[in-house]
Amino acid sequence: MKRRQQGILTGMPFMAHVSSRSFVDDAGRRIYLAKTPSRIISLAPSVTEMLFAIGAGAQVVGVTQFCDYPPEATQRAKLGYGNPNIETLVALQPDLIVAPQEFLKPDLIGKLEQLKIPVFILADRMVEDVFSHIQTFGRMLDLSTEATALGMDLRQQIARIKTRTQGAAPVRVLYVLNSEPLITVGPGSYIDQLIGLAGGINVAVKSATAYPRLSMEVVLQENPDILLFPVGTAEGISESEQQAWRKWSTLTAVKRNNLRQIPADLLNRPGPRIGKALELLADLFHPSATSLPSENH
Amino acid sequence: MQNSQEVRAQWHRTGAMLTRRRWSLVLTGLLFASAAVLVLCSQFGAVSVQLADVLAALWHVLTTGSLDASSLGTGGVIFLQVRLPRILMGFLVGGALAAVGVTLQALLRNPLADPYVLGVSSGAALGASLAMLLGIGTTVLLLPLLPLFGFIGGLFALMLIYRLAQSQGRLPIHSLLLAGVILNAILTALIMFITSIMEPNRSAGLMAWLMGSLIAPGYPALAVIVIYVAFVSAVLMHKAQVLNVLTQGEETAQSLGIDTERVKKQLYVLTALVTGAVVSVSGMIGFVGMVVPHAVRMMIGSDHRLLLPASAMVGGMFLVVSDTIARTIFAPAEIPVGIVTALAGGPFFLYLLLWRKDRMI
Repeated sequence: MKRRQQGILTGMPFMAHVSSRSFVDDAGRRIYLAKTPSRIISLAPSVTEMLFAIGAGAQVVGVTQFCDYPPEATQRAKLGYGNPNIETLVALQPDLIVAPQEFLKPDLIGKLEQLKIPVFILADRMVEDVFSHIQTFGRMLDLSTEATALGMDLRQQIARIKTRTQGAAPVRVLYVLNSEPLITVGPGSYIDQLIGLAGGINVAVKSATAYPRLSMEVVLQENPDILLFPVGTAEGISESEQQAWRKWSTLTAVKRNNLRQIPADLLNRPGPRIGKALELLADLFHPSATSLPSENH
Repeated sequence: MQNSQEVRAQWHRTGAMLTRRRWSLVLTGLLFASAAVLVLCSQFGAVSVQLADVLAALWHVLTTGSLDASSLGTGGVIFLQVRLPRILMGFLVGGALAAVGVTLQALLRNPLADPYVLGVSSGAALGASLAMLLGIGTTVLLLPLLPLFGFIGGLFALMLIYRLAQSQGRLPIHSLLLAGVILNAILTALIMFITSIMEPNRSAGLMAWLMGSLIAPGYPALAVIVIYVAFVSAVLMHKAQVLNVLTQGEETAQSLGIDTERVKKQLYVLTALVTGAVVSVSGMIGFVGMVVPHAVRMMIGSDHRLLLPASAMVGGMFLVVSDTIARTIFAPAEIPVGIVTALAGGPFFLYLLLWRKDRMI
């Protein structure tokens, strides 16, 4: 519900053309860009990925310490994540900062507004928002053609995966964000959407929150076919923590040895690697359906 | 009026009216109440389990002697492997926290004392945070490293506080409290530092753990905890009379021939060992150790021979009930039990502070 309003604002191109250089971000703030930004700071790994993907990598001057994709991104100046150093930030002389709302402190936004540095805030970060954000970045940076092409490509990838998983029997999935206490993803989260798109059923579907501490009793009752563990260098669930799940031997996932791993950064970042993420998920959920003609593309 | 208050104060201070009959009456009552709470709370859960399933699973366990999950059925597994061990764990943790609270309040002669005041719990939490930061999830001798790190952190904090507070072979209470407060602040800052440099998803997991969460341990692990808590309880009970004297002041205790420094050291080490162990398996669960002893003292007086076991049982019941709320109120999701205990215990403590000042030691 909350997202609809924003979808109207960024999804309708004619609104942005009221003034061609003014943009409304997800927080409803209007920013005006007198010229095309050439020194951009990205305060989220997903934003960095989107900027590089539409060919604006050269304009990116600052990133977070978690921005490791594409590899060139690691060459940029590093600012903190939730708590970027404001002096380093100003010293980079950015003409645009793109930041996710969830880790941005209000006083920082105030300070940047005071310094007349435009900040574009991303609040909603679901699957549809990936497309609208890529579009917006394209318009901001005069890379609309590239952004549109990327958007089309991603939509095609998603459509391919949808057709691939359409006929297959749904697979019940538990995504383990944290083992003890058990934290998973619920409706309203990006990863829950990805699981659905890849033909999976999230066992935490009845949860009221996006990142619930799920009761183990519910897990046993809902009986997932697959336990999905995010893995990575700075994040994810360790091997021994995964193995500890084998004690729940009544779970179908354990019986069938369906303890699966997926790179955490692919799922955690609503960005241009969404197609790749969905493909990996679909491979895990429906291994028999992998060798369809679409793979040869 | 004045006279009756004096008598009452005297009664509260010494528990002079403790008779063998009252002792066994109160403890038997609490034992039954505890059993009732355990049975009652085991009826609530995120999933409703049929009584028939439970009985069938119990019968299966009794006849085959095996807890093998694959033959218990889902209802049986949920009840026997998830809910029951967690409830028992809650009872043990709550009991241990309350017993430690009683001991520390007597030792420090400070109503605010609880297992958290000496910084031992922060030390344990820091150790566990470090384990998570380093991504250590491996096991050593079948023991998960996280509790082990927590335990080591707690011990380390204790040794540090000892060195800080000790002067000329003595442990003055005010320097102990002061050192505890300072150490707490430093350790908390270090925990915050760790969460701030962690990848956001993982720091969320750590925060959730720190907020206090009871997990369902396997029965072997539960047995270890039972033995541990039973041992500590026995030692504390053995010292109950000494605690009675210590609450009168160290001079009094010394004049009665008690080696106060030695007793104090023994008890501090003991409470730290319990706190470290409890924090390392359940995170930071506040207020049980502070509020429960006060409530129990108001009802049955402050003779530690009765206060100690009674508080342990009430603490166990309190945590089991709190955890039942935590795991069912937003089912299928759970909330950290530390939030429930603080929200229930905090206002109660304020009530004590504002209206019952005369009854606090």
